[in-house]
Amino acid sequence: MRACDGSASGEKSADITGNQKFSDEMYQAVSIALLPGVDTMGAMTDSAGAAPADEAADAAPSRWEHAADLFVRWRAGESRAMDELVRLMTPVLWHVVRAYGLDQALAEDVVQTTWMTLVQRHESILEPRAVSGWLTICARREAWRVSKLHRRADATETDSLESHLEPGESAEESAATDDESRRLWAAVSTLNERCKRLLRVVAFEERPDYARIAQDLMMPIGSIGPTRQRCLGKLRTTLLADGWEETRS
Amino acid sequence: MSDENAAADAATYAALRRTWSAVDPVPVGLIDRMVAAVAVEDLSREYELLTLVEGEVVAVRSETDTMTLQFSSGLVNVLIHVTAEDDGFSRVDGWIEGTALAVRLLQDESVLDAGAAENGRFALTAVPHGLSRLRIVIRDDSGDLREFETPRFEV
Repeated sequence: MRACDGSASGEKSADITGNQKFSDEMYQAVSIALLPGVDTMGAMTDSAGAAPADEAADAAPSRWEHAADLFVRWRAGESRAMDELVRLMTPVLWHVVRAYGLDQALAEDVVQTTWMTLVQRHESILEPRAVSGWLTICARREAWRVSKLHRRADATETDSLESHLEPGESAEESAATDDESRRLWAAVSTLNERCKRLLRVVAFEERPDYARIAQDLMMPIGSIGPTRQRCLGKLRTTLLADGWEETRS
Repeated sequence: MSDENAAADAATYAALRRTWSAVDPVPVGLIDRMVAAVAVEDLSREYELLTLVEGEVVAVRSETDTMTLQFSSGLVNVLIHVTAEDDGFSRVDGWIEGTALAVRLLQDESVLDAGAAENGRFALTAVPHGLSRLRIVIRDDSGDLREFETPRFEV
């Protein structure tokens, strides 16, 4: 529960200064790993460009607006609005949490903890319209906390547990029967874990909070835009080599 | 970033969402379980009150004491059996007609979660003595979730 303390909008860049040297090293390592084939993406730092277009492409009103509306209605005493909010946001929370490599049971626990925290602490949310951001940040913090605990535990446990926790690649590939998904998944599989996590979180979150993602991934805030672009660029390069048409959607 | 780039990024993210949704889908039943878990946590929610249809509320304080109560709303039947444990605690065994997604026992000082009793059975051990009530979320025949609460009974 501690992982969800504080408000969603209270992120400070100072949070990561303690790890700045380490972050720089991590950033360099990531940059080096991603350099081939991404020069054309440049170092664009625009963190607002993709999300609004994405929202517009999906539906109106956007998901975060719908979530905000439901949360406000629930606070006003309409108890069933919470059911709708849970139905709307649980799939998003699932994908955000699973990006942290938690097995299914742990991921479900984290999603449930996130919802429990919302019900118990909703009065501390100063900006109810930001509830979807509050939820995904809470889920990410809790997932990060739990994943650290379990990575530590895993180190002393047998390898067989690890293979049990991770979904088998063959099972995942068989699930991706759709051609687009199959080819995209093949390209995603070539990315490093950090890129996979970043792209999955950004894909499912609207209005991603770059300060928090940077802290979670141990990267300087300034690098998150370029890093995202490098991850996306590497993915595109792999897809284009596979004959992917950029315009398909 | 140009609009063209932004649109291309958006299309790629949309494709990534479809891919991850296919490769690692939300587990079956997760959403209903979360709705139920939130429902029993939400103190502002109004529950349908079950009525005691059979049994007599007695204080279960020794190993020879037991209490069996049946609650009903017409739509759902709940049977509980209370027995004494050591050190001043009780055990509550329950049977619910229908698919229960969340069961919780509430007292003034504590909350005990029995989780999902999807096979209709639940058991709570080390229940402190005191006035208690159960909150239950079930899925009805049409697939809708319904919340019920028992009257208070002494454990």
